[in-house]
Amino acid sequence: MKSTEPLKRLAQLVLVVLGSTFLVSILIRLLPVGLEDIYVVNPDPAGRAREIRNLGLDLNPFAFYLRWLNGFIHGDFGSYVYPGPTFVPVSQYITRTLPVTLQLIFYVQIVALTISIPLGLLSAYKVGTRIDRFISNGLFIFSSIPSFVLALILAFYIGVKLGWVPPLGYAQPFCSAEDIDRANACGIREHFKLMVLPVVSLSVPLIASYTRLLRTDVIATLREDFVTMAASKGLSNQRILWTHVFRPSSITLFTSAALNMGGLIGGALVIETIFSIPGIGFEIALAIASRQYFALQAYIAIIAFGYVFFNVIVDLTIGRIDPRSRERRQ
Amino acid sequence: MKFKQLGIFSKASVIWLCLVIFMVVFGQWIPLPQPTNFDIDAMGVGLFDSLKHPLGTDSNGYDLLSNVILGARPSMLISLISVGIGGLIGSTLGIISAYKRGKLDYVVNTLFNIVLSVPALVLGLALVAVLATNPDPNIEVPTSRRVVVIILSLTIVIIPVLGRIARGATLSWSNREFVVAARSMGMKDSQIIMKHIVPNVLPAIYAVAFLAIGVVIVVEGSLSLLGVGIVDGVSWGSMIARVRGDLEYAPHSMIVPVVVLALTVIACNQLGDVLRSQLDSREGRL
Repeated sequence: MKSTEPLKRLAQLVLVVLGSTFLVSILIRLLPVGLEDIYVVNPDPAGRAREIRNLGLDLNPFAFYLRWLNGFIHGDFGSYVYPGPTFVPVSQYITRTLPVTLQLIFYVQIVALTISIPLGLLSAYKVGTRIDRFISNGLFIFSSIPSFVLALILAFYIGVKLGWVPPLGYAQPFCSAEDIDRANACGIREHFKLMVLPVVSLSVPLIASYTRLLRTDVIATLREDFVTMAASKGLSNQRILWTHVFRPSSITLFTSAALNMGGLIGGALVIETIFSIPGIGFEIALAIASRQYFALQAYIAIIAFGYVFFNVIVDLTIGRIDPRSRERRQ
Repeated sequence: MKFKQLGIFSKASVIWLCLVIFMVVFGQWIPLPQPTNFDIDAMGVGLFDSLKHPLGTDSNGYDLLSNVILGARPSMLISLISVGIGGLIGSTLGIISAYKRGKLDYVVNTLFNIVLSVPALVLGLALVAVLATNPDPNIEVPTSRRVVVIILSLTIVIIPVLGRIARGATLSWSNREFVVAARSMGMKDSQIIMKHIVPNVLPAIYAVAFLAIGVVIVVEGSLSLLGVGIVDGVSWGSMIARVRGDLEYAPHSMIVPVVVLALTVIACNQLGDVLRSQLDSREGRL
């Protein structure tokens, strides 16, 4: 039992990646318009047949998927196909856009966690009081405001009306020679100025849900005997909360933070489009609008892969945060 | 649970949702300016500035009140239908697989995970983009087909969300003494599920279904904002998308649909929450 459990879990996660990429592969073959009508414009029948074969469109869906999977495993993520045919590898887009999105998500998580952890501890410690109710209700309302709504309002009032930060755009944190050549905005200061609004609009709904998760768990932990014990030893409340209570209560919080990474890419898609940040979400929206379905397939595969990756991370780290859960599983 | 026992927040939520449902059902018979008629003499009228246009008009002169009222129907119908169908399919799958356990459970759970591994918005966007394409990119896809595709995509997104909840709840109920007793007395599985499992699992599903309605309203709005939602219709999301550029000239034309959409989401979340906390206290008493 003990040794097969992680393997079973791993097998299921591999199945998830295979399943989702397979479904996308089937989906793009289901298009009401055949892919060959979109990408192949060669009027010459022989040339046309050759191009269709090149794209693998003469294969049945299963063989088509296996061909794609084989390429994907060997690092060929597929291409943007333009009439001609011209191929632009997706990997070159991914290496450019994925770091930008990961950076945005990283900022969002940091901001959300640094704000929600103290808030969650405070409202659990003061459970039932006016402070608790104020925090819970206030956050509840904020969490219900969709982040795209928040983004549009912030961009207008803070970006345009007040002019505190530029309303949209993106700047690399470090200036490359090319940026200086083209007079692109770059540098740490510019970078953070432009990231403020997207990060705020994505993290506000998260803060609410994180605070809530932590609050529930902390309330449960505060009833444990070891807390009474620590209090009777005369430790200060601050110290008990941070060193004794926080760690065992943080599992749900960190699990959900890790599992949120995938969902955040979906949220980033809208936010990146609104603020025109050249991240992977923006690129996905563009790929869909310009009918680049091969590229879309690669992007979705990467997101599914990320989802599974963070699932594994959660499984591996939970035991470290709370040793009790290791025992329970065995 | 009686209406009187609810807190002030929940009462307000119930009243607001009743109002929204009223708009959905009777919206088209309320005597208002046509949402598609622009009033050339009243472009960008502010909030509460004119009796003719109580909520003002946007910079094209469209009446905001009538747009909001008539926008309730597409927004709410899309979310109610997709959560309804998705919830039905999802919870059926979840309950049966959790009750039967074994291979079936493994397969269903893996399928749920596959759908969940792609973020709701990305999946919805991909499905709509793929299924609502026209051979000729210059010809718009008819709105009715778009609506069907959007509902279908959102249904697929919702199935695993509610399915997982149903599965989890069933797993914990199917080991309770009364279920074991019923089984040992020779009751048929289908009867046990209908008589003992479903009534106990339903409250959990209702609670999450309310939250899911909120999520779907937001996803539908995001789809409109990205240009693949209902383009020429008047759902709240597409209203927001349409006036996006006018924020400077007529900020209230954006604020009005935004507030209506946010209030509806808040109300759904609040009610889902109340249902869930009631459930927890009931579990606690057992």
